[in-house]
Amino acid sequence: MDIIVCVKHVPETAEAELKIDATGKGIEKAGLVFDINEWDDYALEEAVRMKEKFGGTVTAITVGPEDSESTLRKCLARGADKAIRLTDPKFASSDAYATAKILHSVIKNLHFDLILTGAQAGDDGSAVVGPVLAELLGIPHATMVKKIEFTNGKAIVNRELEGGLEERLEVKLPALFTVQTGINEPRYVSIMGIRKAMQKEVKVMGLADIGLSENDVGEAGSWLRIEKLYVPPVEKQTEFLKGSPDEIATKIVEILKSRGLI
Amino acid sequence: MDFKLTEEQMEIKRAAREFAEKEFTPELALEYDQKEEFPMELYRKAAKLGFTGMRIPQEYDGQGYGVLEECLVVEEFCRVDPGLGVAVSLGNLMVPDVLLKHGTEEQKEKYIPPLARGDKIAAAAFTEPEHGSDITKMDTTAVKVGDEWVINGSKQFITNAPIADTFIILCQTDPNATPPHRGQSLFLAEKGMPGLEATKLQGKMGIRPCVTGSLALSDLRVPANNLVGELNRGFYYALELFDGTRITVAAQAVGIAQGAFEKALNHAKTRRQFGQPIINFQGVSFKLAEMAMKIESARLLTYKAAWIYDHEKPNPAATSMAKAYASRVAMEVTDDAIQIFGGYGYLADYHVERFHRCAKITEIYEGTNEIQKLTIVNFIQKQ
Amino acid sequence: MAEIFVLAEHRQGQLRDITFEMLTKARELAEKANAEPAAVILGKNVKDYAKNLADYAKKVLLVEDEKLENFNSEAYQKVLSHLIKDYKPLLTIIGHTSYGVELAPRLAAALNIPLATDCIDLAFEGEAFTITRQMYSGKVNVKAALRKSESYMVTVRQAAFQAQKPPTPLNGQIVEVPSPLTEEIVTKRFLEYVLPPPGGVDITAAEVLVGIGRGIKDQSNIPMVEELAKTLGGVLACSRPIVDKGWLPSDRQVGTSGKTVKPKLYIALGISGAFQHVLGMKNSDLIIAVNKDPKAPIFSFSDYGVVEDLFKVVPVLKNKISDLKAQKGIA
Repeated sequence: MDIIVCVKHVPETAEAELKIDATGKGIEKAGLVFDINEWDDYALEEAVRMKEKFGGTVTAITVGPEDSESTLRKCLARGADKAIRLTDPKFASSDAYATAKILHSVIKNLHFDLILTGAQAGDDGSAVVGPVLAELLGIPHATMVKKIEFTNGKAIVNRELEGGLEERLEVKLPALFTVQTGINEPRYVSIMGIRKAMQKEVKVMGLADIGLSENDVGEAGSWLRIEKLYVPPVEKQTEFLKGSPDEIATKIVEILKSRGLI
Repeated sequence: MDFKLTEEQMEIKRAAREFAEKEFTPELALEYDQKEEFPMELYRKAAKLGFTGMRIPQEYDGQGYGVLEECLVVEEFCRVDPGLGVAVSLGNLMVPDVLLKHGTEEQKEKYIPPLARGDKIAAAAFTEPEHGSDITKMDTTAVKVGDEWVINGSKQFITNAPIADTFIILCQTDPNATPPHRGQSLFLAEKGMPGLEATKLQGKMGIRPCVTGSLALSDLRVPANNLVGELNRGFYYALELFDGTRITVAAQAVGIAQGAFEKALNHAKTRRQFGQPIINFQGVSFKLAEMAMKIESARLLTYKAAWIYDHEKPNPAATSMAKAYASRVAMEVTDDAIQIFGGYGYLADYHVERFHRCAKITEIYEGTNEIQKLTIVNFIQKQ
Repeated sequence: MAEIFVLAEHRQGQLRDITFEMLTKARELAEKANAEPAAVILGKNVKDYAKNLADYAKKVLLVEDEKLENFNSEAYQKVLSHLIKDYKPLLTIIGHTSYGVELAPRLAAALNIPLATDCIDLAFEGEAFTITRQMYSGKVNVKAALRKSESYMVTVRQAAFQAQKPPTPLNGQIVEVPSPLTEEIVTKRFLEYVLPPPGGVDITAAEVLVGIGRGIKDQSNIPMVEELAKTLGGVLACSRPIVDKGWLPSDRQVGTSGKTVKPKLYIALGISGAFQHVLGMKNSDLIIAVNKDPKAPIFSFSDYGVVEDLFKVVPVLKNKISDLKAQKGIA
């Protein structure tokens, strides 16, 4: 089974302090740690597990600047066989739609039985690239997938709905699935994996190599143009409790007492 | 001249960091610091990923890298937690090294792969109650009786002794040799052999998850083919080992210093006094600048010593400089880190005091810093 | 007059709340853009829904077909493509739900209609159509413009808009559109719903919940917070990452993909406050959040905030509460 995994190199922001940059349209990247998008991490793991079970190849592909190389290297060290980095200054400011077009221009020439990608990216959270790519390739898709099985050349997938409910779908292959976190437990990068990955090359392609025009990519080829970034207004004015842990605990106890909760 | 790590080395560093950050949680670190137990599960997990066999060739299930790559792993591990970091990285201490250089093919095949895979634990028994820095004479003796060597004596401060499966033991085989160190030999022994008894040593100041013990050797009989290398060359083999392992001690020290520095920096940015973050005060910020300078120079010495070891013939002076300097830096930087934390720094929950306690051992083991200085003096006098 | 389409969402015999949230926003936008809100309902035997929706929209487009009995994005895409080509709505609004995420991007790409997903606000500003959405798990808001077009599409976040009934029912005209589906969809078939495994604990019934997130760091720390929950007579709940790691069963998960809760007290420990979680707990009577990051979004939804290491606060708090209880027990 030949599997393509689309990955993104994103800053880890869950516990980082963010600052909006001078342009007002981005965040300051200095000091942030970049890594593979959390959802893509699960997608890659799922692909490698399938390869280990059924044979075949895993190709990791990303659209991003030179720095994204480290995310691809990580994919190779974790079991991907090939990697493609799509890098061009003209790709900057591409939204999810333009990104899907760039990916499509390359993937349409590759053999695959399955495409996996994360259900969304931790930075923009669009959840758009996967299904758009499926449309461009003319293959069926399923999003927010929590389980993938195969029978008779078809995939049976569980999709996550709301409130703990799931639905099971039967999908013809080749297909594209966007993977939800928790579908597996991603492995660590091993030293053996790094050594093996060193024999593997990352293929780099730019706009000139993929048969798209300048108007297809970047802001010109996007649906969305960012006007500004700002810090979200607070919904509720939190009252911050300050002091030593002991003083804080005392204050919480007082609040709970006054509300009749203890 | 190139000060950049290769892409491969960067990846090794990243992989080690990711593993340590996810696995060496602060709570686990505190727990093992308190209970003084070897983190066996963690060791096995790290070993399966290849982190503990960096310098062992691939044909013996190791990773086939050099000291520099090993240092990168050790540094990242100790940066996250020195106790767990040291314990995990010393699980197969020295035995594969010495066998690779001087062991028979049979010894290599039997002993190295299980150590490389993390299935077994190693201990190197050199130090004795009466012989620490000075191992030129051993009170432990080995006497040949038929096809066996009979070993008697005791060993002290032996890393992994209570949990090890495979031991190398330095013994006096020729009591009349002059100088005596020309009459020492190394022997392999295995856990469970009659006459080999280990006792755990409790209450160490630092690196408490790394278990240490003493060995009582009474009529321990090992087969003749458990002799490592040539008879009466053991002392030289031991010294040779230190050329490499001392560099990894320097890497431990760099990691410990870096970890404490990062904690202090973060605290200085977030702790507010007199209406502002304390990093705004030069008393704090200059201290941080000094810490950063020291760590960087210690790191450069360490990487350089490792590079020389990997690319040229071992240079004991370069190794000793790295080890002595980096360990001193680790002491100073962890001390400064506590100072920046103020009263909080004195509490276990804020972790820097543990880094300070762990740093001290790097000035002591694998040759005290005084011994390192002797090596350096020898070298500069010859120049 | 051009329409603003709202795709009504329903599942297992119920119109979902987001339908009415979207219709409310559509009415507001329609007034400004000189358009009319139109609900679109696809399904099998859904005429009753159409009647209900007619109170909220000027028009209800009703497509009934056996093949639309359960949601299938490919069937929906065929029908909606047909309707959008026919009606050329100014805007199509779809929920950013498990259904909307499956449907909207692909539909937009097929029709080449600019799309923005997971929007929390929408506006026609002169010639431009702008949206507001969030990035970096809710830490930053983004205002963005969609590429100029005859027709736009958005998916909107659940609970981003408050559902309101029009002052008087709009008595929308129900237009029955014949289904354009001629053949079975074979590439993707709905098989069945999978219910969550029956759990031992119903967190929606608890009066006190202690919710834990990534900040808990390690599974071994769970007993400590469970102690606190017990002391308060409550139970432990969590955000998604805890379930993903297998540290707590999925019936403890609060948020869009888990349960929606409204306890008297919700203590959020080490939860950053991604909207998926917040939507599940923000209506709790009293919310106290403990997080090391002063900028964590959770603080925008809490009554009381504590910027501190939860491991420092929790044990002290637990002891104080049990001491208090012991005293009362004696008295």
